[in-house]
Amino acid sequence: MNDIKIVAFLCNWCTYTAADLAGTSRLKYEPEVRIIRLMCSSRIDPVFILKALMDGADGVLVGGCAPGDCHYSKGNYYARRKVAVAKTIAESMGINTERIRLSWIPASEGPLFAEVVNEFTEKIKELGDNPTKNEVYL
Amino acid sequence: MDDIKWLQGKGKPGIKSFFQDILTRGLIDTVLMPAKNKKGNSYAWFLMNKDGFLETSDPIPPVMTIQGANILKNITKKGESWSKTAVVLRPCELRAVIELTKLEQINLENIILISFDCPGAYPLTQYISGDQTSLDQKYDSSLYTASFETERNACIMCDKFTGQGADIQLCFLGQSDDGFLISAASAKGKELLKDVNGTNEENLEIKTKKRDELLGQLQKEKNEKRQVILDRFKETIYGTDNLLNVFSACINCHNCRRACPICFCSECYFESKALYSEADNQLNRATRKNALRMPSDLLLFHLGRMNHMSISCVSCGACEDACPENIPVSLLFSLVSRDTQAVFNYDPGHSLEEPLPFVVYKNEELKEYEAHYTKRHQSACNCNTK
Repeated sequence: MNDIKIVAFLCNWCTYTAADLAGTSRLKYEPEVRIIRLMCSSRIDPVFILKALMDGADGVLVGGCAPGDCHYSKGNYYARRKVAVAKTIAESMGINTERIRLSWIPASEGPLFAEVVNEFTEKIKELGDNPTKNEVYL
Repeated sequence: MDDIKWLQGKGKPGIKSFFQDILTRGLIDTVLMPAKNKKGNSYAWFLMNKDGFLETSDPIPPVMTIQGANILKNITKKGESWSKTAVVLRPCELRAVIELTKLEQINLENIILISFDCPGAYPLTQYISGDQTSLDQKYDSSLYTASFETERNACIMCDKFTGQGADIQLCFLGQSDDGFLISAASAKGKELLKDVNGTNEENLEIKTKKRDELLGQLQKEKNEKRQVILDRFKETIYGTDNLLNVFSACINCHNCRRACPICFCSECYFESKALYSEADNQLNRATRKNALRMPSDLLLFHLGRMNHMSISCVSCGACEDACPENIPVSLLFSLVSRDTQAVFNYDPGHSLEEPLPFVVYKNEELKEYEAHYTKRHQSACNCNTK
């Protein structure tokens, strides 16, 4: 198995701050995750998730504020609908939806962020390489 | 019954004379409907007033050349029509019009939507390369009996073939070919119907009943057929490998996107700079895999488009008609949209009042798509989402 790669789309106000907190608290978490910061989780276009998966990422993590806590009051509700559609499409096309994870991680929850990343990485390791990694005909 | 009338008139010419009549009597100023093109081998859309009503115009053409919603969008996107216009649309075109109205791409002010019991249509290529006279004849004779058989995938599995949702509905099903029913569903439609020279005779009820019976049975049959076709198709495309096989002939022309009424973005994400890759990027990707199909991102385009429009997909089949490689795109999109629409229990084109799923939300929903707590933190975390 090659090195696994996880792309994380995190909202600026909660999950990214939580990642920051995990770092400043010197918490150790799996290094496979690559973080992309968005101003809000609802900035996610389902195409971002697919683009990552099609280009060989093994997992995609979308992180935002907990429902009710969104910095823009309702962005994460829209994010949830978008991720639901992306997952549904993947499911009906026979693409493994376990590679997509949506998690709400509040800004103060550095340990939770580390935990989510560890748990997700473990899951992805179980699933093995994303078949698109070596797919020539994509 | 003041919202339904019976109009005498034999076959297609009878239907056409209805439009001629409301035009000459000034009930409408303009009509937008298909007519034969200059060469006479296919159809195009025409905006016609009472002096320009074309002899070859056909409210129910045997092919769908351009999705009618696209035409109406071009006319009213930047503002309302100043002329009272009746637009004759197939049921799938009508549903697309309703979706585009909700997406603020169509303005229905001064527009009267007219739809009908649609028998289906020929695939574009079959009609263009065939003998049009005999194809026309075969098509017109099946108008009242729903016996038309086509090879067009979208029509084979269509289960919403009535003009439900239009201002005016023309109903042929179950009628003898010497006339048809006109029913009005909205205030706009009733206003127009009031002045139509139809009869309001007593056996209207029998005629309506006859249609309803046939309709109920047909809709049930077609819906079952649709589910069977889609389920069977799903087996052949399931998984990345199968999916790549289906799309393997794709030439990246993006015709499916251009023909699609729901894909209205003036600049498509998939044709924008956002997805433009430098040589460096392409070479890197190819090197990583040792080989890479060019142009890349074939599957990304189709899957991405599903994400952008499948919620509003009306299963009209315009994408498949436009595909030069005969990829069953309409089956694919119908399959995906069946699932995505079910997530929000959304029926595209059903009503103007039903909001688009991406502009509304509920506080408590879709829990099965989120995984916010890890096993260990589940008990320890005090951030309450309830």
